[in-house]
Amino acid sequence: MTLLEVDQLVVDYGAVRALDGATLSVARGETVGIVGESGSGKSTLGSAIGGLLPKAAEVTGGEVKVDGSVVGSMSARELRALRSTRLGYVFQEPIGSLDPTMRIGRQVALALRGRASRADVLDRLATVKLADPARVARGYPHQLSGGMAQRVAIAMAMAAEPELLIADEPTAALDSQVRDEVLDLVFALAAEAGTTILWLSHDLPAVARRCSRVAVMYGGRVVESGPASAVLAEPRHPYTAALAGSVPGAVSEGQRLVAIPGQPPVLSGASPGCSFAPRCPAVLESCAGERPRSHVSGGHDVLCHRASETVGAAR
Amino acid sequence: MTTWRRLDPLSRTGLVCLVVLVLAALAGSVFGLGGNPDGIVGSRLAPPSWQWPLGTDQLGRSMLPRVLEGIGTTLLLSTLAVLVTASLSTVLGIVAGYRGGWLAELVLRMVDVLYSFPTIVLAILVAAVLGPGQAATLCSIVLVTIPLMTRLVRTAAMTVSERDYITSAVISGVGWWRILARHVLPNVSGTIAVQGTYALSVGILVEGGLSFLGFGVQPPESSLGVLIQQGGIYLLAAPWLLAFPGVVLVVAILAINVFGDGLRDRLEPRESRSLV
Amino acid sequence: MTPVLELDEVSVSFAAGPPFRRRTTHAMREVSLRIDPGETVGLVGESGSGKTTTSMVALGLRAPSSGAVRFEGEPFPRRRRALAGRMQAVLQHPQWSLDPRMRVGRSVAEPLGVLGHADAEQRTLAMLDQVGLDASFAKRYPHQLSGGQRQRVSIARALVTRPPFLVFDEAVSALDVSVQAQILNLVKDLQAEFGFAALFISHDLGAVRYVADRVAVMRGGELVETADAAVFYRKPAHEYSRRLMEAL
Repeated sequence: MTLLEVDQLVVDYGAVRALDGATLSVARGETVGIVGESGSGKSTLGSAIGGLLPKAAEVTGGEVKVDGSVVGSMSARELRALRSTRLGYVFQEPIGSLDPTMRIGRQVALALRGRASRADVLDRLATVKLADPARVARGYPHQLSGGMAQRVAIAMAMAAEPELLIADEPTAALDSQVRDEVLDLVFALAAEAGTTILWLSHDLPAVARRCSRVAVMYGGRVVESGPASAVLAEPRHPYTAALAGSVPGAVSEGQRLVAIPGQPPVLSGASPGCSFAPRCPAVLESCAGERPRSHVSGGHDVLCHRASETVGAAR
Repeated sequence: MTTWRRLDPLSRTGLVCLVVLVLAALAGSVFGLGGNPDGIVGSRLAPPSWQWPLGTDQLGRSMLPRVLEGIGTTLLLSTLAVLVTASLSTVLGIVAGYRGGWLAELVLRMVDVLYSFPTIVLAILVAAVLGPGQAATLCSIVLVTIPLMTRLVRTAAMTVSERDYITSAVISGVGWWRILARHVLPNVSGTIAVQGTYALSVGILVEGGLSFLGFGVQPPESSLGVLIQQGGIYLLAAPWLLAFPGVVLVVAILAINVFGDGLRDRLEPRESRSLV
Repeated sequence: MTPVLELDEVSVSFAAGPPFRRRTTHAMREVSLRIDPGETVGLVGESGSGKTTTSMVALGLRAPSSGAVRFEGEPFPRRRRALAGRMQAVLQHPQWSLDPRMRVGRSVAEPLGVLGHADAEQRTLAMLDQVGLDASFAKRYPHQLSGGQRQRVSIARALVTRPPFLVFDEAVSALDVSVQAQILNLVKDLQAEFGFAALFISHDLGAVRYVADRVAVMRGGELVETADAAVFYRKPAHEYSRRLMEAL
């Protein structure tokens, strides 16, 4: 059952193109990691799902469907309903996502909407493993550490037991110890509530460790997606392979990091060919002038002119 | 030229209004547009006509040259005062912001004392000490505008001082004076320019208020404040006496604020604008 | 051999919090660390572990509450100028590492200006070339550069006086993974060529062990383990170091 379907989505910020025909489909109950560097368009994709794009952004092509209904054609009221009942968001800056003027308890009660007694609120805070829920509920956001604030944000995002939780680099601002705890929590709560997870991150190994499926974004498109183990172990897109090789922690002793030459692109309009072509070690003549088409094989999709070769090589 | 192109239409309008006001004042003082501001030319309190485009006042002086002279005096006094404020605030604010410590505390406390006086009370106090007149007006504007500007320049300088390029310069052994001149000053100049524009509008208001109360520019000299004060007396008999200087004052202040907003948007550091 | 930098039981504490309820925070507790000429020492720790304070102390920007810091065998001079050109830093934020109002060439030449070199321009261009940027970059402003290019410029500025010692404080943390690898390789190559000693500070053990000869692990203001980088590819002794390794 498909829960989320993003089809050839194009989003422009003025002259800059953030999404250049991104395609992704997520089935109910999956845990999908979207991996991309800054500027790859992953945050834009995340915002577009809930109709949360900033005013400067314009959807100039394609569509997003959540459970079959098109997000772009929803009224303001339908959008609100979508966000409050079906979607949950967790962002990078936990303290910034909470209202600084309101006690935590009230904010959680609002997220629970109407059916919140004090006990419910404390119960919610307890589910995210906060040591002293009563004290946290009385406090204000600035009194919390980053990890605690992110737990509160998770409690609020999961309050309505959403169908889809979009977590945009939820641990980027946290220390590595807390990072694992917070991620454990997100995945455990989602599994319990049957929530589908879309986790946006720049960390390919971390994503591959936890998610069932991984989608790699580059230049505003999803260039590769497939089962996590397959994407990490046998990347088919040269960018994914290069990304996996350029993580310093993945290099063994005495080996040299294989850096990708050049810079990630900033698109102004549709890329005429493959946007990775200028940095690609295995570039063909057709790469620069012809947009690669999706090459599907065993649930492992890739956007690359050489896809058929690499598929052959992998077998 | 690039500044002009990057301004939005509203602040361009503001800038045009300001330029027109300055040109009008120059036309009055240099080319004698409208005649002699002090000459008694006709009947008293005559309404606007072809002969006296803005009417005449209670002594039978033509209002056009008087308003032009008033604009000139007011703008000149405020601009001079703001230049003084800007220079003092820049030095105090940058040094306080960069060096911090007791020096910053001292500057801030002094500025806070000034800030705690209501604007007009402070201005009257100055006029009482110095005696009413242009010097008192100038000093008042400086004292009224200096606290806010110093604080804002200090805040900007503090932010800049924490940036990595300053730390790198310190590590490289660049002297503190050179750091202030080469790095801090250029990076707070935007704040100074924007606050200077806002201070100019405050200056015009203070001049108006002070002269209106009789502590500022003294008749027979003319300024917008003086004209408004005198126009107020004949409000019912000759409303044009109040209307023209009043409108000019409002236009000047609006124009400056609108232009200041545009300038602020323009001078916002480019780095903070992200692409995606 | 005289170490380039030596921290001898350095402690740093400062008071923080509202008046009457001030608490003393110990940012560094008796940290001892030595860096020999030509050696790269990596310092790993999470935020709040005291590695930023350590970097400030190493750069002579903060005086220790107790303990001694020696640079090339001597305590820090009172006047910073005396050290000019002998110690440089590459700092964290690519967007603020360069003065936005200065052309890149002038930024790179700044440390030379303090020393009064006559051939500053030539050296600047040569240094830009060394970090992989052509001469046209000297005329550009920082906002025309990408994050990776700016960090290259910072490295050029730091190396232009050929200092015997450099501090890299989270110098690659804000960069994209693909660009980060370029900069890490550049640091390694330049280190091999110029032979400077370096303190490479990061929260990322992977990056630290990749560029460093020795790795020091910091936690709660204390050094919990110092060992050859090779150890951090196999089995570090301290349990906390092992946890950091697992997180890779």
